[in-house]
Amino acid sequence: MTTSTALPPAPASPGPRPKKQVPHNVKTSRRAAWIFAPSLLVSFLFVYVFIGITVYISLSNWKIGTSPDLSLRQPFGGTYAEIVKEQRFQADIRNVVIFTVIFLVLAILGGLIAALFIHHVSIGKGLFRTVFLLPYALSFIVTGVAWRWIFSPSTGVNEILRSMGIENPPGWTTDPTVLGALNDPSGTDFLKVQFGIPVALLPIIFAAAWQLVGFAMAMYLAGLASIPEEHLEAASVDGANIWQRLRHIVLPQLWPSTITCFVLLLHVALKIFDLVVAMSGSGPGFVTDVPGIYIYNYLTSRYDKASAMAIILLLLTLAVIVPYLIRGYRKERKA
Amino acid sequence: MRALNKLKISLAVTAAASLIAVTGCSANQPAGSSTGGSDKLEITSWWTSGSEADALNVLIDGVKAAKPGLSVDNAAVSGGGGSNARQALAARLQAGSPPDAWQVHPAGQLKSYVDGGQVADLTELWTQNDWASQMPKDVAEVQQVNGKYYTVPIGVHRGNVLWTNPAVLAKANVKIDPAGGVDGLISSLKQVQAAGATPVCLGDKDIFASSQLLESIIMSRAGADNWKKLFSNEYSFDAPEVKQALEDYKTILSLANKDHSAITWDEASKKMANGACAVNLMGDWAYGELINAKKKPGTDFAWVTFPGKEDIFDYVGDGFSIPANNIPHAEAANAWLKTLMDPKVQTDFAAKKGSIPAVKSADISGLSKYQQEAAKSFASAKVVSSLAHAQAAGAEFAQTYADAVSTFNGSGNADAFIASMTAAQKTQL
Repeated sequence: MTTSTALPPAPASPGPRPKKQVPHNVKTSRRAAWIFAPSLLVSFLFVYVFIGITVYISLSNWKIGTSPDLSLRQPFGGTYAEIVKEQRFQADIRNVVIFTVIFLVLAILGGLIAALFIHHVSIGKGLFRTVFLLPYALSFIVTGVAWRWIFSPSTGVNEILRSMGIENPPGWTTDPTVLGALNDPSGTDFLKVQFGIPVALLPIIFAAAWQLVGFAMAMYLAGLASIPEEHLEAASVDGANIWQRLRHIVLPQLWPSTITCFVLLLHVALKIFDLVVAMSGSGPGFVTDVPGIYIYNYLTSRYDKASAMAIILLLLTLAVIVPYLIRGYRKERKA
Repeated sequence: MRALNKLKISLAVTAAASLIAVTGCSANQPAGSSTGGSDKLEITSWWTSGSEADALNVLIDGVKAAKPGLSVDNAAVSGGGGSNARQALAARLQAGSPPDAWQVHPAGQLKSYVDGGQVADLTELWTQNDWASQMPKDVAEVQQVNGKYYTVPIGVHRGNVLWTNPAVLAKANVKIDPAGGVDGLISSLKQVQAAGATPVCLGDKDIFASSQLLESIIMSRAGADNWKKLFSNEYSFDAPEVKQALEDYKTILSLANKDHSAITWDEASKKMANGACAVNLMGDWAYGELINAKKKPGTDFAWVTFPGKEDIFDYVGDGFSIPANNIPHAEAANAWLKTLMDPKVQTDFAAKKGSIPAVKSADISGLSKYQQEAAKSFASAKVVSSLAHAQAAGAEFAQTYADAVSTFNGSGNADAFIASMTAAQKTQL
């Protein structure tokens, strides 16, 4: 028995290949194309073709969901002209821009601070990591229900404020005021919405940032781990203090992590839906309405309007993502 | 070579699988429809809560008794006040594989299905069985589009009921008299406020609750006939009565709990029953909700019709329609519709659902005191359809109204409300 195993048969695969004339890299890329073909086909169909269909529907007369009328609406693009005049649409665009800006700042800064803290703390690293990352594991609808209770005017935070003797605590998500309003629309002109920061949106942004701070932290922790220790050591030998090291060595090296966080969190902000639905709904005067809720509401009454809003949301995303992609592509070509 | 073969096989399998996935979308077959026999029936609705599911089971047992051996597939979709179910249904209708029967609100919502050519004309069934004579004329009318019947009513809910807390009202020494009109109501509410209590509970996280409040005030100010004319564009949202109603609505909103946009309708109803405020306007499904929460009618809560210049019944109706094309089990679907119109089935259904029967011959003596009063009022009051529930007009107009109410809640700008509604009257009706 031992003699037969001692003489293994000649290996089959490392033997001389019959078709040596095809260069290795061409062959692998051809093989890669075959492997990716099905997923390319499927993503082409279910992403790009469907985007095309949505664009078409947004230009069509398809109003009620049950009776498709696919003739093009006259004048061309009439649905877009119709919705930009709506108070609700204008409020949605304002809200999503405000939401995105504040949310990105809070989540990214929060993640950076948490990561720096964990990276430098000597005990309980694992515990802190878990504590910060845990919210990310929950779904928005779950955190939304909890945060809704916290910011509900009659429970949560306000209970504490009242026990501290504050007679009229804030209304949080029910407050219809707009902070720092730049204009005072009459409601019948083209501009029907106050530009400023809707107060009711702030608790929701806070809840969203709370949930995703852990994600940004994880990104930054990975970035911090990849900074060579020698750089920091050399800097301290040269007499740089902790702030100088942070500003001139750590932060520049964390830039790729920041960009990644920015891009990955941006789409979370733009398509936010479940958290808002759970916490406040549309709110009085649409102060907490977002494009996602708009699309959902119109899916049973106006297909063209829902599709147009979806396309506008896509364009908003592209407006930020495309410059990033172009930058990455240029870098790649240089390299 | 073996590795390459394996690769080819796996590619073939992937391609085949993706092809199946693609074609599967267009040939969206309902489960269990392959046999095509008449011993099956698939129905969709959005009745999934405890009391609703019980009520639906009454109907299912009824049709099984009428057609022994029938197997019923209950394809109810929960959530969103029916919007999830309607989206699921829309997808199936477009794929050409509808269920055998589906839940529909009459009039406005029905019309969109009729316009799409998706529901069957039931006029013959109605005349054969003389169903129109068995219910109030207004109810029979809203089951039609252009003079033809397309749906069968199973129950009737009332939208304009003012639920009151007797203890809170007694403490402020206030009585709400339906005949006192909106002005009487507002002065009573102000008296409650003077006594140190919150007058109104409102929960409009889902906007339909405030849409329904405003709709009740408009009906009360303008009257039933003018309310109906709003949806044939014979009466304008620019009318002085509507403007007055908007002012009244603003006043009532200022008398409501400040957190109204953060709570739901059922939370508001329970707050009222717990004594947090004096009144709550809601449809009579609130009755079922309060009973379910172990509140006692008469002591924990009472009710009056929303005060106005005449007795109006704001009708929110439930019914079923069957598909015009591709109906898999036509015979069973007809049996289902006939079962719905059986007076005994309607009574048993109402007992579980909290609604009242649509047919006059149904025996209501076993139903609750509230239901008996509602049934009496239903027979005598002027019956109008609810706009907040997309019944008085189609889904598009109802959504425009809901948006206008949301905007008004934030800005209190009556001119903007009137401008968007009068524009909608011209273009969307």
